[in-house]
Amino acid sequence: MSWKDFEHDMQRCCRCSYCKYIPWRFIKDFDFMEGCPSAARYNWHAYAAGGKFNIAYSLLHEKIEVDETLLDIVYKCMMDGSCDIACKMQNDLEPLQHMQELRIKLVDDGHLVPQHQPFIRSLRNEDNMMLKPRSERGGWAAGLDVKRVTKEKTEVLYHAGCRYSYDKELWPIAQAGVTLLQQAGVDVGIMGEDESCCGGRAYELGYDGELTKFAEHQAEAFKTAGVKVLVTPCSDCYGTYKVLYDKIGKKLGIEVYHITQYLEKLIQEGKLQLKKSLPLKVTYHDPCHLGRLGEPWIHWNGKEYKPPGVQIWLHDPPKKYRRGTNGVYDTPRNIIKSIPGLGFVEMYRTREYAWCCGAGGGVIDTYPDFAKWTGAERLREARAVGAEAIVSACPWCKRNFLDAAKQTGDKIEVLDIIELVQKSI
Amino acid sequence: MKLTKDEYKALEDIVGPEYITQEPVIMESYNQLWGNKLAFGDKRHNPPSAILLPANVEEIQAIVRYCNKTGILFKASARAFEYVATHMGRERCILLELKRMNRILEIDEKNMHAVVEPFVTVYQLMDAANKVGFYVGKPGVGYSAAVISLECCHQGMTVSQLYTSSYGRGVLGCEWVLPTGEILNLGTAGREGGWFSGDGPGFSLRGILRGRAGANGGHGVITKCAVKIYPWYAGAPTQCELKRPPGEALSAAYLEKVPDNYRVNILTFPTTEKMMKAATEIGQAELACIVAPAYIKTGFNEEGNDEEWAKIKSGKQGDPSKVVRSVQVFVNGHSARELEYREKAVMTVMEKWEGYLDPEYNDPEIKAKMFMYQTWSTGVPGMRATGDFMVSFQGADGATEMQLKFRPIEYEAFRPFINRGDMISPDVGMSYRPMEHFSLGCSGGIATGYDPWDPTSLAAAREYLDLIYDVNGPFRRFSYTNRGAMMQVEDIEHIHQRWGPVYDHADVWLQKVKKMLDPNNVADSTSYIPEKYSGEAGRTETK
Repeated sequence: MSWKDFEHDMQRCCRCSYCKYIPWRFIKDFDFMEGCPSAARYNWHAYAAGGKFNIAYSLLHEKIEVDETLLDIVYKCMMDGSCDIACKMQNDLEPLQHMQELRIKLVDDGHLVPQHQPFIRSLRNEDNMMLKPRSERGGWAAGLDVKRVTKEKTEVLYHAGCRYSYDKELWPIAQAGVTLLQQAGVDVGIMGEDESCCGGRAYELGYDGELTKFAEHQAEAFKTAGVKVLVTPCSDCYGTYKVLYDKIGKKLGIEVYHITQYLEKLIQEGKLQLKKSLPLKVTYHDPCHLGRLGEPWIHWNGKEYKPPGVQIWLHDPPKKYRRGTNGVYDTPRNIIKSIPGLGFVEMYRTREYAWCCGAGGGVIDTYPDFAKWTGAERLREARAVGAEAIVSACPWCKRNFLDAAKQTGDKIEVLDIIELVQKSI
Repeated sequence: MKLTKDEYKALEDIVGPEYITQEPVIMESYNQLWGNKLAFGDKRHNPPSAILLPANVEEIQAIVRYCNKTGILFKASARAFEYVATHMGRERCILLELKRMNRILEIDEKNMHAVVEPFVTVYQLMDAANKVGFYVGKPGVGYSAAVISLECCHQGMTVSQLYTSSYGRGVLGCEWVLPTGEILNLGTAGREGGWFSGDGPGFSLRGILRGRAGANGGHGVITKCAVKIYPWYAGAPTQCELKRPPGEALSAAYLEKVPDNYRVNILTFPTTEKMMKAATEIGQAELACIVAPAYIKTGFNEEGNDEEWAKIKSGKQGDPSKVVRSVQVFVNGHSARELEYREKAVMTVMEKWEGYLDPEYNDPEIKAKMFMYQTWSTGVPGMRATGDFMVSFQGADGATEMQLKFRPIEYEAFRPFINRGDMISPDVGMSYRPMEHFSLGCSGGIATGYDPWDPTSLAAAREYLDLIYDVNGPFRRFSYTNRGAMMQVEDIEHIHQRWGPVYDHADVWLQKVKKMLDPNNVADSTSYIPEKYSGEAGRTETK
């Protein structure tokens, strides 16, 4: 679809402002009612999904032109999909898909954001979004006794992703993920220097061609290596492999798991035993790409229509909307709750309507202050419910929370779920 | 039209650079509202020249005074989820978005009122009030509406108005920045006597402040307002755990049971007349907190339009003839004994008028759902069906009169539009909810849905609107007084010309009020009285 195909949504947006907040019915504390970081942080309605529908409508009808303000509005957004969930409580518009197509249109038309360019060049030249040489990609696994799937076949491919591969502070977590699988007797291997970016982040920036290119590359690489099962500790990669590749018709013919799903399976089978008591009160932060955006893609190829003689918009065939319902929510919670001695408390904004960590949609690289502000808001919420530690399941969340905590002086502990499991073994 | 550099600088000095903008791209997100296609023939109306986010009453005063000096038109807006809420009548105009004034200043339990700033939503106040045993009433437009907008500036109705009255009747003390920039404190607030009364010893100008359906920004900015709150015997919605079947969408979440201090019964009678007789007796005896005649279905409730349509086609919508003979009755009580007494009394009235509890409506799960929807939890899913609908109305006539006499007229008038397939409506027509224990008027709601992007449907909506406002049409006097917020959609000059002569030359009086309050004509009058009103020359004679 093109951005223009959303004109009916642009027309029907009624400025109810549901897109700005978590669904009203689920508000537990008005101090934590905001759902959209952009609308919460910036002053104007334009920064909300509804405002972007308005802007697109005016752009479509040539009432305005693309300028720096428009780019600022479009890109100061984590593409986290909170607006999408809230809108579909009432209006069933597609704000997230609309924003995605708007970004693609801007890139196609050459309206590029200068801050994005080094990252895109890095992706094109070095196969990663971290501004680092390809040759350093396998550095995180140095010293690990783990197979290379390019050299010998394994049961499972462990895909570390760009963040874990290049963020040295997070390497111990990436390594722990492999070690846990090995301890459970899983025949696991990595691609090391031959691993590539999934392409998901570039797609969110509007570079849809990169997603296609990397989807095709990965399919070929996995096929060559004989990969049947992929496990990733990165929620962004999970969302890309599981959802986005399917969306663009490049579904991988292999099983894709987030590491939490695989760990839960191993725990249930008794291959991993969480015995050690952890006297800590934690809360869980749902990564967007594992939660609401981790819901499988629902293909719908049909048309909107009104039945003869009745004013009601229907779909032929009937359309099932992605409402975030079938994201991965219970799995990480089940793992956390199975750790002895650990106290668990939910935040006010959870599951489908979780607040974003702040890293998504390229914001962590392009607008780091906004990313940290968003992350700090989440840490504030974690403290408000009495948590001593915030646990997530994505390296981007962990990185951004660490940065936010450093900037604000917040002492809350920031953990990945892999670290928790490792401590409990 | 942009402001000049000097004008912009002067306003920027008042609010600070972070809180003013005239970026064209941003302006385009303030000129596309619900109902614009019907009102203006386009999704867009003229954008404002600039938007300002004042932080307090002093900044608002300074802005308004500057407007008086320079002739810049201004209008204030809170949540803007309303017809024409950000429309302004001429170019070179500024919009004051009041999002930085977002505090509940006080909840006075003893005197049963709350004091709020303009950006506070009804749901926000409801939650805070519920926690200390009070209630505000759920507005028809849904959660995100602002309290002051409903009370002071717009039509405002609620399902619970039998008990809580409608918005607009709950205004107490007020802080009002007049179009000249002066502050006028109404009621007790005018004599430093607190906020508990709107009627003195200071000025009592609530009729002028609000009028029939609100001036919608037409004469200044309400910066603080005290509103009535009412006893509530259940927990706050934010503390309530909702159940959701596994794998179901968020919208499927429901309340498991009616709270302990409430009882919900749906009474069905042999005729609509008997239903209204019973409803009136129950209401007048002050036994109930909600009486909703002919109001069983609560709008578009299914997950999406396709699911809604499947339900309609399956015939599970219920028998329309039974709906118009039924009434929802909610009772509450601060003790089990009071609750038992009230419910028993309701049942006695029901039996007197040969009513019964239909099992189809009185399933515990359905009752809990109704409780949730009626008291705090609907949005406006009706918007989803067609893209727009005509908003609700209220009037001075009683619920019984409207239900029995007016409903058939409107039903017949509307029927051709449905038969032609140009608009949609529930099979049963309107529901008229009584106000203040049947002592004062009523309000009604009907999902007269139309598709603003379908030329035929849009034309039908306009034709229907014209029919409603025809002085000599089928609705007669019911039209003007009962149409509340719809008055903001019809061309305001046209309305005044048509209806001024019928209602004591109200148009002439409105002009005088406008001139007195706004001598320099800087407060937007889109929904009040036009700045250049042709007056009697264009009036319609009544037959």
